Amino acid sequence: MTTVRARRQDNAGYLFLLPWFAGILFTVGPFLASLYLAFTDYDLLTAPRWAGLDNFRAMLHDDKLHQSLQVTIVYTVISVPLSLAVALGVAMLLDRGVRGLAIYRSIYYLPSLLGGSVAIVMLWRYIFGYQGIVNHFLAWFGIQGPGWNSDPRFALSTLILLHVWTFGAPMVIFLAGLRQIPAMYYEAAAMDGASPWRQFRSITVPLLSPIIFFNLIQSLIASFQTFTQGYVISNGTGGPAESTLFYNLYLYQKGFAEFDMGYASSMAWLLLIIIAGFTAINFLAARYWVFYDN
Amino acid sequence: MNPVDEPSGLRRRHVLGLGALAGVAAGLSGCGRGFGGKSDDDGKTELTMAWWGDAQRAGFTQKALDGFQAANPGVRVRTEYQDSSPYKDKLAARVAAGDAPDLMAMRFDSLREYADRGTLLDLAQHTTDLDLTGLTPQAKALGQVGDKTFGVPSGLNTIGFIVDKTLTDKYGVPIPDGDTWSWEQLGTFAAAVTKASGSKVYGANFELWTTANLLVFARQHGEDFFSPQGKLDVREATVVAWLQLAEDLRARGAIPPAGFIDQNNGASPAQSYLAKKSIASQIIPTNNLLGFDQACGGNLQLLRIPGETQGARRGQSIDTPALWSIAAGSKHPQEALKLLDFLTNQAEPAKLCAATRGVPPNRAIAEQIAPTLEADNKRSSDFLSKLQTEKLPPSYPYPVGASKLTNILKSISTEVEFKRTTPADAGKQFIAQAQKALTA
Repeated sequence: MTTVRARRQDNAGYLFLLPWFAGILFTVGPFLASLYLAFTDYDLLTAPRWAGLDNFRAMLHDDKLHQSLQVTIVYTVISVPLSLAVALGVAMLLDRGVRGLAIYRSIYYLPSLLGGSVAIVMLWRYIFGYQGIVNHFLAWFGIQGPGWNSDPRFALSTLILLHVWTFGAPMVIFLAGLRQIPAMYYEAAAMDGASPWRQFRSITVPLLSPIIFFNLIQSLIASFQTFTQGYVISNGTGGPAESTLFYNLYLYQKGFAEFDMGYASSMAWLLLIIIAGFTAINFLAARYWVFYDN
Repeated sequence: MNPVDEPSGLRRRHVLGLGALAGVAAGLSGCGRGFGGKSDDDGKTELTMAWWGDAQRAGFTQKALDGFQAANPGVRVRTEYQDSSPYKDKLAARVAAGDAPDLMAMRFDSLREYADRGTLLDLAQHTTDLDLTGLTPQAKALGQVGDKTFGVPSGLNTIGFIVDKTLTDKYGVPIPDGDTWSWEQLGTFAAAVTKASGSKVYGANFELWTTANLLVFARQHGEDFFSPQGKLDVREATVVAWLQLAEDLRARGAIPPAGFIDQNNGASPAQSYLAKKSIASQIIPTNNLLGFDQACGGNLQLLRIPGETQGARRGQSIDTPALWSIAAGSKHPQEALKLLDFLTNQAEPAKLCAATRGVPPNRAIAEQIAPTLEADNKRSSDFLSKLQTEKLPPSYPYPVGASKLTNILKSISTEVEFKRTTPADAGKQFIAQAQKALTA
């Protein structure tokens, strides 16, 4: 009797996994193909030629590759903590039992759905253009603002802002996590005279740490894979002056604009290694700050 | 025992079941050839044709194709179009996937990327189906690589300076003589507009990074930019002079300050700074005159590029906004050739194409339709006809790798614009990077 139920559960599990298995069929092929292509000289139009480690050697001397790594890392290091901090902050505000929580939650979540979209990036260009809304505002104070998107000093920062604005996805997860923390902890702490800051540090952060960790890993991986924002805002060039040349954008340029798919494939594998490295470091560090309740 | 805690593990039967399902899924995907493929079930031959452009061009193109399909009831043409930048990327992927369109618009600076890799049909081998005798040698040369022909110009054009006369009249600045003006006169004229408008309108703007613009400037300095052998043939001093020219113009207020122009604003006439009345003049490909004149209020003057009479030699040449090429792997080369011949050598489709693609490359057809063109097209057509009677430097396909130069120049000129480097250093960098791009 019990075994029949168990088997039914198993079957249901596999049934739900089916789309994933079907998906794998379409991913494994390209996955293996790109591994092979990473070691070839392949111009898309003629057959690939085995090139050994040539692509990886060329990376050492590729200034644009180094620039794209720098852009991506700066972007990640600034925008990930910033957006998580904003997400946690807003989640805590909403957790205080605001009337109409569902509405606020939806409103703040909305940018997450829109942030990667072309329309929003276009809007960003109008807001931060030389004759855009921000500069109109500054002009009231007699300040001529720069072209926030067209000036290489500022172009990346507008994209970081765009990323921070899409804090909704981690916020929803934080909100769910905050709901799991029993209110009695706070009550007890308040009784002992703990300040809100102390409560935050000693109750919220430790109990929420697995959720923070999850969000951190998710955001980190997504951030390394940033493409759309850079592509749309710079029309695929990574400009001005390579200041928004994300790693994936450069990879795309190499593969599809410069007919160097072998190199692009090797770049994809390097990115996998980099992301795996960052994730591994985080998992190691997690031992010291992530607290599991069980 | 609690059923949830029971260790289940993967059972052999499950694995086999999954394997069978996977097999079914694979089988299904194997059947999926119908998606996007060619269905010949009504007995018609289906040609695919891809090009870049906007809705206006799409309208004219469809009319021309309707004519072709009426005359050839056994052929159906499926056409696809999009903006130029995504088109470029998508074409590369399609050709790589072995799914090249039968007839495709080809960028002048990418022709050899495709031709040298054997993906295009040599049209010189098919002169019975495609008659190219009506083309001038100049026009024919645009699609020739050695003794082979990989492209036919979809139209002829050149670059020109357009000036919004409504604005210059408003600020009382006379437009210089467009046939003889110098770069110095451009500066004086543009700075006067900026000054008279109180910096509400900047006198001029042009893209430093567009290869065709720098190419004209290099020729005026006695160089070819690309040698006929496909080498870089521009001196560092000329590139430095080009970047310095812009710095001087900026310092005089003739062109907008650094950061004013968003270089990724998009190229369509409606999005242009000219249409927004932020600038009074700019360089365009002449086949776009109609679109710009409509977007800018209908009072544009078309001038030649400055410096044509002061330089070491002429800079302007007769070029093409796009070539038509046929895929080497086309399943219906006969029909594709027939269609290309129709577009090139028949008056009605040539006229429809001429509306946005420049002057028909077939000289007799161009003369035949000239009187029937609408005003803006007549103007750009006359502009080009006059140039065609003059002795100009030849134009030929750019070498492999040339399409990378735009991004290099874009990046370097931006560095100069924001004073992060000097024109002298930038010139040196450009030569080094361009040479590498052409040999890699």
